[in-house]
Amino acid sequence: MISSINPSIKAFAILVPGILLSLTFDMFTPLIYLLFVLVVTFGFSDVSFKRWMKIFAPFLLVALGFAWMTMLYTSDSFSGGRVLFEIWMFEVTTGAVMVGISLALRSLCFVALSLLFVLTTDSTKFMLSLMQQCKLPPKITYGVLAGYRFLPTFQNELQILRQAHRIRGVGRERGIRDKLNQFRRYSVPLLANGIRKSERVAIAMESKGFKGDVNRTHYHKMTVRKKDWIFLSVMIGSLFLVGFLSYCLGYLNIFGKTF
Amino acid sequence: MNKKQLNQESKPLLHVEHFSFAYESLKNPLLHNLSFTLHENEITLLMGASGSGKSTISLCLNGLYPEAVEGFARGDIYFQGKHIQDFPKGKLNQEIGIVFQDPESQFCMITVEDELAFTLENLNVPASEMAKRISEVLQAVDMESCKKEKIHELSGGQKQKIALAAVLLLEPELLILDEPTANLDPVSSIEFIHLIQQLQKERKMSIFIIEHQADDWLDITNRIIVLGRNGDIIADHHPEIAFTEKRQVLEKEGIFLPKAYDRSLDFDGPSPSPVAKDKVCLSIRDLSFRRKKQPILQGIDLDIHQGEFLAIVGENGAGKSTLLQLIAGLIKKDSGDIDLFGKPISKWKESELRKRLGYVFQNPEHQFITDTVYDELTFGLKLNGFTQSEMDKNANRLMRQFHLENHTFSNPFSLSGGQKRRLSVATMLDETPDILLFDEPTFGQDANTTAELMDMIFDLKTNGTSIVFVTHDMDLVDTYCESVYVLHDGKIAFSGEPRGLWDQDELLEKARLRLPYRIRKHTKAGEYYDLIH
Repeated sequence: MISSINPSIKAFAILVPGILLSLTFDMFTPLIYLLFVLVVTFGFSDVSFKRWMKIFAPFLLVALGFAWMTMLYTSDSFSGGRVLFEIWMFEVTTGAVMVGISLALRSLCFVALSLLFVLTTDSTKFMLSLMQQCKLPPKITYGVLAGYRFLPTFQNELQILRQAHRIRGVGRERGIRDKLNQFRRYSVPLLANGIRKSERVAIAMESKGFKGDVNRTHYHKMTVRKKDWIFLSVMIGSLFLVGFLSYCLGYLNIFGKTF
Repeated sequence: MNKKQLNQESKPLLHVEHFSFAYESLKNPLLHNLSFTLHENEITLLMGASGSGKSTISLCLNGLYPEAVEGFARGDIYFQGKHIQDFPKGKLNQEIGIVFQDPESQFCMITVEDELAFTLENLNVPASEMAKRISEVLQAVDMESCKKEKIHELSGGQKQKIALAAVLLLEPELLILDEPTANLDPVSSIEFIHLIQQLQKERKMSIFIIEHQADDWLDITNRIIVLGRNGDIIADHHPEIAFTEKRQVLEKEGIFLPKAYDRSLDFDGPSPSPVAKDKVCLSIRDLSFRRKKQPILQGIDLDIHQGEFLAIVGENGAGKSTLLQLIAGLIKKDSGDIDLFGKPISKWKESELRKRLGYVFQNPEHQFITDTVYDELTFGLKLNGFTQSEMDKNANRLMRQFHLENHTFSNPFSLSGGQKRRLSVATMLDETPDILLFDEPTFGQDANTTAELMDMIFDLKTNGTSIVFVTHDMDLVDTYCESVYVLHDGKIAFSGEPRGLWDQDELLEKARLRLPYRIRKHTKAGEYYDLIH
């Protein structure tokens, strides 16, 4: 299962294909890789399709938007081919359509890859792994973890703040200057409380003997095993495989160069 | 009362000599020339008004201050005969453990198990031993069932027990408790104090408690140290002596005398003047509210009469604050009726509604929206187009009434805790509202602030404003309220006069309410604990 893969290795297995993919400008490569990521996501993890779709769906729209804009504003070097149709002053060529669709598919690939990571990774384990495998200093990792705990309380406080200000009649003010004031009014108490709280947490951590040095024992020993390396090689290897396939079929286009 | 005698032969554990501490300059120190000794196996209670530097002491004792802040210290502190500066970094923290006041901000991990492991990792305990020690300590604080749970989903009382467990893992010689129950409901805080008592018997630790309300700790305290406003020690005695011989000094300093020693409470409480229950300001019929399909409130009926002092009580999560928000029209009901002066609350114009209904939040800072006290007090008037002279007149009246005359142009955020609280109430009174709602306004406030606030609120009530309180403090309910509504599981489990509530043992236990002191006094000490267990 993907959730048992070492988080640091998983992060690499997501990052490397992501970066490599951003170099391919054809449609075929990202399409096949996207399908592959979907197979991995639903075949080898217990992510529910409904939950996944909830996050993925908005990005579909964003990707469509990307594709549309790129199609209209493609740079001359890519906009070859015959003119398909015209909108107002824009001429849309086959080249432009290809580049647009490719960009959309690439962005969907990034989203699918990120979701594969986010939905199968426990934030605590990720931090512990960064500390144990990537030698990130404990001061940073535990700092991030402590900050992570604040998110729900922050949200809750903002809601109370809104209500309290409504009682005072803040909503009845009009105009841009008042709206700007409004932002400042929320940020002062939120910041003041945030600073106070983080100070308290820091002191509480220190008083439990936290010194921030690297030599500490680990309750959850994060290890890198064979299957982690297999996962990494499969994720990267299959990208090369897909690339090779599209090369054979004559689609491959890296940075505007076809082979 | 069953108090342990001061054991004069016990060995000194921690010795403070001529210690001063200041954030800015030692010429005007927060803590001034303190000398005292804590003994082994002794429970010492430190009292002081808010702002007297009580919490600062605890951090000085375990060596985190003055390093962790930009502060200056003079004098010496010895732990087991050794100067605290001679301890290697992190070692002293292990000998002196602290449980802090705020349950929300003393953890850095998500789950209980990981948080406890964090402490063990700091101590470099081998991983193989950790599971065993985590189970042991959870057993000691009676929280075994919560090992895998997420800390932010626990109740306040449970969080404090986990904070205690984490500190116990250090196996400290001295345990410092910095107002550990200030943010807990009364029953949870009694449970916590019992746990401390039991652990002290088993583990023979020294305990240093910092608290502004001594009442519940009295039975287990050997000695009381009182810190004055100027940062010096004004009393250091057995509790019996401190609260009898020194009582005048303590009262002058604004220290909350335990109710057992407070003679002003000896009569059987004032009976609230009955109000003519003929004029209904607000009525609620068959009100229901859901959040995320979860029913929060069901079938609520409630009436607020003119000039009435009404309390809504119940354990955390019973829906008290939600009910208050519904009354104020801040959130929308699912079904039922809320009528203000015979007109559905949803039909009221926002500006009119805010004139009629005031709402004071638990944290006064949330309500501040301007940069000066004067602007706060005139904000509403300005919106409603009052003239400058009218605004001045109103602001001056409120500042006089709430003792804020010397702070006209201070920033609200820079005021003291008590001043902030007073200002937050004053901002609601620029145009006298018909109903004033309060969400636990006395929570975490010290004795003086509470007394002042209640006086002012009572004046308002006498002038015809209806007061609605959400509170955990049954003493307030007993003293001031004409009617009380008990919420349990989202339904009203009791409504009527407070005195009718005090003999409903079963209901009190179910709703986790604690009898007021006046009633408890009549039952034998120890008997009221049965209420909980």
